[in-house]
Amino acid sequence: MNSIKTHAQSQGLESIISPIPTGAKSTEQILKALDKFGVEWYVTGEGTLMIKYWQVAAEDFVPQEKAAIIRATRPSPEESDELDWLSKNLENICQVYGGQWVAVHGNNIVAAAASLPDLMILITDLERPFITFIPSDSIVWTFAYAS
Amino acid sequence: MPAKNFEHVFRFFQFQDPSGQSIWLPLVEVTLITSQNTPVLLSLLFDTGATVTTLRAELYPMLGLQSWDQGQRVSVATAGTVAVVDAYQYTFTLEIFDKTVDCPINLMQMPPNPLYHGLLGRDTIFNKFGFGFWESTHELFVTTFP
Repeated sequence: MNSIKTHAQSQGLESIISPIPTGAKSTEQILKALDKFGVEWYVTGEGTLMIKYWQVAAEDFVPQEKAAIIRATRPSPEESDELDWLSKNLENICQVYGGQWVAVHGNNIVAAAASLPDLMILITDLERPFITFIPSDSIVWTFAYAS
Repeated sequence: MPAKNFEHVFRFFQFQDPSGQSIWLPLVEVTLITSQNTPVLLSLLFDTGATVTTLRAELYPMLGLQSWDQGQRVSVATAGTVAVVDAYQYTFTLEIFDKTVDCPINLMQMPPNPLYHGLLGRDTIFNKFGFGFWESTHELFVTTFP
């Protein structure tokens, strides 16, 4: 029986996914098995399989009313993926929103404005949006940060 | 050699540039409490070479400032040029790795990039944490108990 094997460097991650029996005989079958299990995955340009996982650390950790307080001050996993969503859609977003400030929330552009003050007015009711400026010019990706 | 323990590990952010080349960025998400008391997410490039956490000058309205250059003027040597540039320093509150930190923040003119807003620098913030940087595995290890 095949198990999932990856180049994962984290011992914790490896210990979690290695024992999962998939019955898969090929990489394609392993990827299908991950889809079946609801595991988010992608393959890097170097051929490394990356998966996203959550591990239960403590059930009933806090009462629900306290959980609501904690959740109000901490971004949920969906919100923390906004940067990922932005990067994957950056080319299209640059075409549509180039030269504008945007607010990303829940994997959507929820507001856009020509200036940051104008955008701030539009986002007062949003919980921790990701705000950024979309350049209209080409973006330089190699840098030593000086202007 | 003493062993160091870390409770958190964050993978670098992977991005494919228009040419298809993979770029790994050690980005750290922080929450900034704006002048309107609205928390917003910012993404900062982890940078041990930055003395002070530095944000793009264009973000000044979010901080309740009338202009980017009304704070304490400081001269900053940058890695990409021999020239020293001006930055303007303020103190603001960031939430980072489950901690709330009042720290100096420089505003400085920087090239635009939609995926990060500036540099996560050492002053004050690095004292609150311990870091392990693993380029080969694209991982940033963090302890909140340095």
